[in-house]
Order: sequence, then C-alpha cells, then structure tokens
Amino acid sequence: MSNFQALPDGDSSARPTADVTEVTAEEVSLLVDGELDADRVDRVCRGLREVAAVETWVCYHVIGDSLRGQCALRPGFAARFSAQLATEPTVLAPPRPRPAPAAVALAIAASVAAIGVVGWIALATMPVPLEAVATAQQAGVVRPADARRPVVNEYLLAHQEYSPTTAIQGVRPYLRAVTADDQDAPR
Amino acid sequence: MRRGRAFLRRRAGLALVALLLSRAAASEDAADWLQRAAAAARQQNYAGTLLYQHGARAETSRLTHMVDEKGEHEKLINLDGPAREVIRNNEQVRCYYPDAKIIRVEPRTYRNAFPSLLPQQVDTLAVYYFFRKGEMARIAGVETQAVLFEPKDGMRYGHKLWADLNSGLLLKAQLLNERNLPIEQFAFTDIQIGVKIDRDTVRPTFTPPPADWQMRESLPGDVVQQDTGWTVKELPPGFAKVVEGYRTLRGKVGPVAHLVYSDGLVAVSVFVEPMPQVPQPIGLSTQGGINVYSRQLDDHLVTVLGETPGTTVRQIAYSVAHR
Repeated sequence: MSNFQALPDGDSSARPTADVTEVTAEEVSLLVDGELDADRVDRVCRGLREVAAVETWVCYHVIGDSLRGQCALRPGFAARFSAQLATEPTVLAPPRPRPAPAAVALAIAASVAAIGVVGWIALATMPVPLEAVATAQQAGVVRPADARRPVVNEYLLAHQEYSPTTAIQGVRPYLRAVTADDQDAPR
Repeated sequence: MRRGRAFLRRRAGLALVALLLSRAAASEDAADWLQRAAAAARQQNYAGTLLYQHGARAETSRLTHMVDEKGEHEKLINLDGPAREVIRNNEQVRCYYPDAKIIRVEPRTYRNAFPSLLPQQVDTLAVYYFFRKGEMARIAGVETQAVLFEPKDGMRYGHKLWADLNSGLLLKAQLLNERNLPIEQFAFTDIQIGVKIDRDTVRPTFTPPPADWQMRESLPGDVVQQDTGWTVKELPPGFAKVVEGYRTLRGKVGPVAHLVYSDGLVAVSVFVEPMPQVPQPIGLSTQGGINVYSRQLDDHLVTVLGETPGTTVRQIAYSVAHR
C-alpha cells in the first residue's frame, strides 16, 4: 500500500529517478520466475513502485502466459475482471480501500493489451508484497501465489511418481524439483 | 434412389470402420512407441550431458544410468549452480543437497514402467492426440527419429520426442504450447549408449555422507488406495482416474488425499488437505512444464498440478467437490 501512495498521482509516465531503488529487467525477470535471491526480493518489490518496473513485470507475465498458451484475453475482459475482483474475498480485497493501485495496474495491463490468468494474479499480487502477507498471516488463511515461494516440492515429487512422463524420461523430470529448491533448500 | 441411399450408408459405415481401425492402429503405434522408449530407459546403459530448458533458463546436468544384477542405478548431477544430485537405486530415490547438508530419501517413489497406461487410455491417446512421425534428426551425434503427439484440444500440451533409432532411447523431449513453441525441453548434448559403466560412477559423490548432514527420510509415501470422498465433477475429456487414496507427505500434519488422472501421456494430480494454519499460496504458478493451481474449498486446501496448460489444472481445481 505504502508503495503505491508514493506513486505520483495521475502521473503514469513516471520513470525511475536516481534516489529510487533501481531495478533491472533481469531482476524483474528473475522475480517473475521465482528465482530471485531471497535477499534481493524485498528491494526489487520496493522497486516495483516505479511504473516502468511494473510495466516490465506485467510484460514478463504476459510473455510467460503466451509461452504457456494462456493468453486468454476475450472481449469484456476488463468488465469481468472488475466484477471478479469485487467478489474476491479476504486478502485480495484488504480492509482499506485502494482504488489507485488497481486503477494504475489495470491501465498498465490494458496498455500491454493482453493479460491472462497469471496476469490476473500479477495484479492481485502487485501491491501486496509485504502488507498483504502480513494481513494474511493475521487472518491465518490464504495469500496469493507469489514469486518468493517455489512450487510445493512435496507435491511435485509425489506427482512425478505417477506421471507417465517419468517412464520415458527416467529421473530427468526430477530436475524440476531439484532445481526448484534454489532459494529455500529442502524443508 | 433407395439403392443410392443404401450405398451411401454402406459407404459411411465402411468409412467409420476404416476410421476406427486407423485410430486403433494409431493408438497401438503410439503405445508401442512409448513402451519401447520406456524399456530402453530401463534396460540400457547410458551416460551423457543433459540440457534442461524452461522459459529463458537453461541448466545442464550429467546423467548416468546402468543396469547390473541388482537392477537399475541412476545418477543425475546438476552442473550449474549449487551441486545437487539425484541417486536412484531401483525404486528408491535420494536427493543430495550438499549446500544445505541434507539428504532426502524418497522411498518407493519411483515407477518407470508404463503400467499407469490403462487399456482405455491406450485408446484415448489416439482420440485426443494426433500421433505421427516427424523428421529424422541428429541429436548429440546420434541418429534419431522424431515423433509428435499433437493435442486435438486446448486441454493438453503437444509433445515432440526424439528417440535413438537403434535403442529407442529418448534423447530429446519438448513440451509445446498451442503455437508449437517449446515451453520446456530436455535434450542430451552428448551421450554414450550401450557402453560399460562402472558401478562406482553411479554412487553418490558423498559416500558415506559427512556426519553433520541431515538425513530426511519420509514415511512410506505410497498412496494407500481407498475412497477419499473427493471427486472431480468436470474432468477434461480423455482423463481417467488411475489412483485414489491417502498418503503421508513430509511437512503435512495429517494424511493428504491424492487423486491422479491421466490421459495416457501426462498426468494431473489433485491433492486435498485440511486448510493449514500457515498462509498458503493460492492461484496459478508454474514450475518448468508443470502448472499448479491452488484454491481454498471451505476448510480445505485443493492443489492441482500436472504437465498441462494452466486452464486445465484450473478447471480441475474448480470442479473438485466432496461427494
């Protein structure tokens, strides 16, 4: 929240200035892939207050969506999105009203012109990083999927066991689980 | 006139029979091809460098597989980043994390035959995928034949697989989205097949492991097959349940319901557990070619993951219900 209060009102063309945390496109990419070093995550999340960084971030998600074949932008997306956002429970609609972030995010999303399921999560997650996680912890229930936590490896390994691809690829699919552990080594 | 109609009907009937026959033949071709690749992966000795790519990331690792009188032994070491290895002795898999000083033992978590293919799934392969031969290609210095499994709907990814002409061993595998762009790829960059491999080369690098390492042994991970009371109301076409039951998973307090659905080529897992006390990530996330969708259902956490597009795991997650 505080992130976005810092954003100059109505100035969507803001660019990073010297006194603001600089974030490189590569760092944003790593964040999107959930592969950013844990100690850099906070700084990069702070850097996302800059419109340019957010644009990069949304852009990478849209690229990711396209790669995964999930570019599901159909007519009326914005209307459906707003409707769905309005009905969203708990964390995704924190107690205090926050029209500005959503409006900014949506405008950016629209300018990128295509946004799918992940993009939707991106929007939900974007203003979130610290505050909403704290809110969620208080509520003790849910929080949006975020870049900091890799996919649950226990599930991945259990799934691998039954996947037919394991039969023709041997232990290779285990690479997914092993390489996923970069940040939070096994639990 | 009547004769004409009868003729047309007969023609239609013949066409239908031909279609069914060709579809059956294609199913068998596809199933045979998969069985051969699985058998080669199990029976051959091979050692090579493997490139794993997903998104813009690429990682290399060293894979060695050997068979002796005690069965199969396999070792996979990543060559980039923190050194980690996966050691498999028959069905037992151990993951070594020297950076964290941890060894994870995964008992009985490995099946590498193709038994998960139910007879009806062999048939569904040809209903939901076009199976055809692709080009001949040289991969890692070896002559291969490519085959394609092209999905007929948007509920699954395409697969392009390259197998060694001689042994049938899979040397390259690509997961493709609907625009035929690779999402994930495994490929050998060099390989030796059918060579003699010393037993020591497939032993863990750290034998015995240093005293300060932690051994994390999980409980028998097998699914205890039983009715869980959970069901998927709107299963994507072609997917059939292959297993259902409860299992114990590390880090989970109680048993977790695990249901597996397969279309013969890939699988989707559904996990249901009581909503944990700690906050859980919800929504869609991706790990290589695997999409994961988590949601809260009353006081349960539902997690669906598989080698399918995000829309498929999401649809399944939203149609999980208690019977």
